[in-house]
Amino acid sequence: MKDMTVEATLPGSNCRQKVAAWAGGRGGFMKTAWLKKLMTVPNILFVALVCLQFLPDRRTDESAVLYQLLIGLLGASYLVYAHLGRGNERVQTAGDLLSLVFVSLGTWQLLTVKLDVLDKMLFPSPALVLDLFIKETPAALKGAAGSLEILLVGYGAALLTAVPLGLVSGWVGRLKRTATPITRVLGPVPPTVYIPYAIVMLPTFKLSSMFVIFIGAFWPVFINTLNGVHTIEGRLIDSARVLKLGSRTMITKVIFPGTLPSIITGATIGLAMSFILLTAAEMIGATSGLGWWVKYISDFADYPRVIVGILYAGVVVTVIMFGFDKAEKHLLRWRR
Amino acid sequence: MDTRGIIFDRVSLSYGRQLILENIVLSIDEGEFVCLLGPSGAGKSSLMRLLAGLAAPSSGEVSINGERVAGPGLDRGIVFQDYTLFPWMSAGENIVLALRQAFPHQLGWQLREVAEEFLDLVGLDQAFHKLPSHMSGGMRQRAAIARAFAVNPPILLMDEPFGAVDAVTRAKLQDLLLQLWQREGSERPKTVVFVTHDVDEAMILASKVVVIGMNPGRVKEVRTIDIPRPRVRRELYRNDRFQLLRNHLIELLQEDVMSELSSDRTVCPPGDGI
Repeated sequence: MKDMTVEATLPGSNCRQKVAAWAGGRGGFMKTAWLKKLMTVPNILFVALVCLQFLPDRRTDESAVLYQLLIGLLGASYLVYAHLGRGNERVQTAGDLLSLVFVSLGTWQLLTVKLDVLDKMLFPSPALVLDLFIKETPAALKGAAGSLEILLVGYGAALLTAVPLGLVSGWVGRLKRTATPITRVLGPVPPTVYIPYAIVMLPTFKLSSMFVIFIGAFWPVFINTLNGVHTIEGRLIDSARVLKLGSRTMITKVIFPGTLPSIITGATIGLAMSFILLTAAEMIGATSGLGWWVKYISDFADYPRVIVGILYAGVVVTVIMFGFDKAEKHLLRWRR
Repeated sequence: MDTRGIIFDRVSLSYGRQLILENIVLSIDEGEFVCLLGPSGAGKSSLMRLLAGLAAPSSGEVSINGERVAGPGLDRGIVFQDYTLFPWMSAGENIVLALRQAFPHQLGWQLREVAEEFLDLVGLDQAFHKLPSHMSGGMRQRAAIARAFAVNPPILLMDEPFGAVDAVTRAKLQDLLLQLWQREGSERPKTVVFVTHDVDEAMILASKVVVIGMNPGRVKEVRTIDIPRPRVRRELYRNDRFQLLRNHLIELLQEDVMSELSSDRTVCPPGDGI
């Protein structure tokens, strides 16, 4: 493609020759170029996937129309996207990802509906999963809202306590020397071991889940904050001391922003920990939430819906992590 | 006895067993521009930290206007080679933060106005909202100087402030510094203590050069630079007195480098530390 644009700008007969040679000999230059442009991996796979739809089903699959529409939509939007931003890296990445999606969907469909070599109950067709994914939106959203409430309170409480405590303990030498051995002992305790005790100790299940998430997120945030204070460039601290900043200004304007990169590292670990703990706790004793929903459905051996639940969990986590990344970029924009 | 100015009275400093500074005796008058000249690792920066109150001498005493230095104070501003500005604040916010400590009773908008004024003064009139990471090294040092001058301390400590910028920017910053130093001439003149390992820089800036020898750090020689100001670089190099003094200072520095090389404990590339 690059060659074409370069050669086409050259004047004279020499250019014509080269273009003709590039286009593969006599005539049909335009036609060939267009075809060649369309012969990309995602497009070829798209065509293959479309062809797959015409193969006879071995398993009844009544909800296939929606699935086929989705494939059509994916293929079409890629074509438009590739046309608009031709040649850049993003299009390439999108194409690679889409190829992977098409291959997975095709294999999945082939092994379930078309060949029916996999167990029907454990391996539903992609069309059925998509159908359920849409139908179960209200139930999943309700579950996600319940889960998010617990997550927000537990994780939020961990951030609100661990960051100030970590900053002060990291800054005051005596506190740091006391806090470090405590973190060495309590930090590595796997938070899941608190779950049974928390359920018995606290009055409601919700509270105990919040507590477990709080504990799970607290230590990584606290430890990273505590140690992060000492990663601040020494001359910046000197600079602040020479300005005679009061302790409060020192902590809020220098120590906190200087430690922020470490805090965010800790917060990321804490968040990942929270997700794991949330679903683990919900599967043990909850009556609402996404994790509970998946567990509840699997008790009925309704595996298509279990897959839908897993997909929803993925969507929720992706959305949260996306927001988290945006926040991180904004907060650390002062770094090169 | 005149007690105005800075006095180092038999000051020694050691970290553990290592002796960094030995028996420093030095007096700096009010309003002087003093350059501490010496090879890298001679302890110039340690001397500066003692003066800033960021470190305490192992023996002896540092005093300013007759009072012992016990810690940092708003009477001393400091500019380092890098990392003087807080990178998470814009240039303007950096200056406002410093001003807020020095003038706690002023309102926010007043401080911002002063900050704008000093950014203007160093030629950074558009940089109030710029983050240090989005500025060049020269711009960052301008902003750091603006911050130091905005607080208006009687003493300014500068630890190789122009060490990381290119030659042209460096010359411009030197001129700017002299201009600011002399601007305050009407009231009490500022005392500037300036660390450098560059002989030319010392000779263009200083009214007095203190040559620091190494292993351990000690005062080797104190020289008054009585070349009249303004010192024009192009003319200086044709000035015999300047050349003589320059050669003398370079020789003093070379001695240390040579003995360092001959003792062969550390391999340092020739020219480093001059």
